[in-house]
Parts: sequence; structure tokens; C-alpha cells
Amino acid sequence: MLYVLSKITRKYGSRTVLDIPLMEIEKGKIYALLGPNGAGKTTLLNILGFLEVPTTGDILYRSKTVNFSESFLQNLRREVVMIDQHPILFTGTVYKNVEFGLKIRRISQKKRGIIIEETLDLVGMSDFVQAQAHRLSGGETQRVALARALAVSPEVLLCDEPNSNLDVENQTAIINTLKQINEQRKTTIMFTTHYMYQVSSLAHHTFFLDHGKLTATQAESFKLCQ
Amino acid sequence: MELLVDSFLSAILLIFSLDTEVLSIVWVSLKVSGISTFFASLMGIPLGFLIAYGSFKGKRILIIFLNTMLALPTVVIGLFVYSFISRRSILGSLDLLYTQKAIVIGQIILILPVVATLTIAAISRIDERYRKTAMTLGANRWQTACVIFREARFGIVAAVIAAFGRVIAEVGISMMLGGNAKGFTRTMTTAMALEYDKGEFILAVALGIILLVLSFGINLIFNFFQGRTRA
Repeated sequence: MLYVLSKITRKYGSRTVLDIPLMEIEKGKIYALLGPNGAGKTTLLNILGFLEVPTTGDILYRSKTVNFSESFLQNLRREVVMIDQHPILFTGTVYKNVEFGLKIRRISQKKRGIIIEETLDLVGMSDFVQAQAHRLSGGETQRVALARALAVSPEVLLCDEPNSNLDVENQTAIINTLKQINEQRKTTIMFTTHYMYQVSSLAHHTFFLDHGKLTATQAESFKLCQ
Repeated sequence: MELLVDSFLSAILLIFSLDTEVLSIVWVSLKVSGISTFFASLMGIPLGFLIAYGSFKGKRILIIFLNTMLALPTVVIGLFVYSFISRRSILGSLDLLYTQKAIVIGQIILILPVVATLTIAAISRIDERYRKTAMTLGANRWQTACVIFREARFGIVAAVIAAFGRVIAEVGISMMLGGNAKGFTRTMTTAMALEYDKGEFILAVALGIILLVLSFGINLIFNFFQGRTRA
């Protein structure tokens, strides 16, 4: 198992937003996370992305217990990348945005150029390499954010509603890219969504969250969403 | 009205004649204000950044304190610094009183809160997603801070410009700690006050015009950077 979450809770003040007795995530699979607004989907992704620390419970990642100290989490974050529901791009060109994670990992300039070219090509944004990031449309921003995440070759990709507010063309492009990288690179993917057709066309497994609890199996999830 | 028009025309001629006294006064003003803005920025930007970026006990109190310091009158700062650098006081042996250094010290105290509070405002306006994005892409704390600093750069430059605008136009500190010595600590504002006392309006009006033009330029740049921040 890639992740094993046991007895995980997350509280904000006295409010419990997440309460998961057990959750297992297998390497190389695509998972859909369904649930109504406020169910705790983003909080769960933040915890899986090591961006948020659970209030109680343990996480095993690659069979090792996660120590929630900053230096430990920072190393884990190099393997897990999360894409926000409304991703934000840094000021500057598309090239500079995709380069960010690679520069941090001290990858040589020559290699960086090759990776950036490849990933932008993968998401169909190679014509925008020198475009100013803040001038891109919503769909283009989402695709550049995906390229920026893929450039660092993550083990796990967490996408918070990757297709929200996108037109059909951009939705299809994103779904196809996610499928492709899962097949080619065996990247584990978890995405949240409200669209059932995405679940059926993309996910190997489905989790359903309601009021912070995993409540249903895949079959039940379909019923609940319908 | 006639006096004003005559003084204005004579002042314009004085400016375009590149009078050495006018140039000397403008130079002292720009030099002293530039140095104090530089040092205040050197301290105020990191201070503002740490306050805005960090989470610690007493943060709100510190921000309230800095905001209160914004309203500190220049004469109070003058008096305060004077009590430390006058001949008989604790730092009297350093002979700082009535020097440009004394003005710089006072002006730093005046604008440090300006730089810090405007930096806090600039950093606080930065979308939380920048921090999260930098972290998820593997950035450490320092690299994440650099991302936020970079995104807030126009707001921070605007803070520095606003601080410069504040010191170039102040009179209390320059008068009390500089002593208005000709060619040495005489700034545009202290010279204007002196010329007014003497009833000599031409130099005062000439310096007033220069100060207004400078303030206009500063505000123009300030607005430009504020516009970039909003964009």
C-alpha cells in the first residue's frame, strides 16, 4: 500500500471535519473522491499532500510512519503534488511557472528545458511557453498548473476538482492527460469531483465522503450521486 | 495676490538659474531622506515580512503598536532623539546633535513603522494559494517566503516610496536634530520655514515648487506600483 491512514481526525476548533478510521491507497491507481460541498474532500487531499497535519491518527506512507515535523513533511512533499481547485500561477511566464519545481530540485538548466517542453506538450500548451501566466484563460491556467505539477514527476498527484468551471474541450484534455500519465508513469492519482462521468471514465476506485466520514462503497456512491 | 505672483515668477527664475544655494538645499534633503529611507527599508521590510508571514503570540498587539507609531508627531521623535544625543545625555560624546546623522536617526524612527505596516499590508494581500502551491511543489520555508516576497514586490516598493515621501516633507525632526545649518543640515522644509520667518518668500516658494514636483513624482510612482499590486 502507498498510503494507510488510520484513525485520522481533523478538527477546526471543536468542529470535526474529518474522521476516517481506516483508508488505504494503492500505488499506481486512480481514485475518485466524491461527496457534497463541505464533506472534507479538500481537507483530506491536504492531509494526503502533507500540507496539513491531522489532529489525531497515523499515516503510513510507503510503509513508513509519517513524522509530522516540517523537515520530514518537506521531503514527502517532493513526491506528492496537489493541484488546487482554482490553481494560481506565479507572476511571470508559463516557462518560469513550470520551471519552479525543477529549479528547487536543482535540475540542470538544459534538462529543465527538455522537461518543460515535454510537459507543456503533454498538456497541449507548448505554444504558450513564453506567454505571461496571468493572461491565460481558466482552462489554460488549469493545464499549465497540471504541467507544473507533472514536470516534477510526482509519485502521487492530488487534484481538487480538476475540471470545475472548464469547458468540454479543456475537461477532455485534462482527463486524457491524467489517464495518460497514470498509464505511462504509473502515477497514483486522487481527484475530487461532482461529475459521475469522470468517475466512470477515469477512476479505478471511488471513495465517498460525507460530513468527514467515508460512507459508501463505489456502487453506493453512484446511487448517492445520482 | 501680487506678492504671490511676483514670488512665484521669481522662484521659477531662481530654479532655472540653478542657484547653488537651492541646489545645495535640495541635495541635502534628497541625501538625508534617501539614506533614512534606505535604512528604514532595510529594517522595516524584513520586520513587516516576519510579522505578516509568521504566526506568534502578540502579533496583533505588535501591529496595533506599529499602527499607533504612524501617528507619532515629528516633534515628539525630535525630542526623544534629542534626549539621547544632546551634549549632556548618554550618547552626547558621539557629537551627533545638529548633524545629518541625527536627522537620519530621527527620520528612520519616523518611517520605520510606515515601511513595516505597508509591508505587512502588502504581504497580507497575497493570495494564500501562492504559499500552498510553492509548498506542494517542494519548496522549503525560505523558498516559499521568496515566492511570497516576489508576488508582493510591487506593494513593498510602494511602501518604500511612501516612506520617502513622508521624510522628504517632514520639518520637525530636521529642525530639532539638524539645527538648520546652511549648506550642512538645511533641508528644503527647514529652509522654507526659515525664509518665511525672514519674510523672504522667493527662495521659500522656489523650494515649495521643487518639493511639490518631487511629491507629485513620488505619488505618480506610488500609484504606478499600487496599480501593479492590484493587477
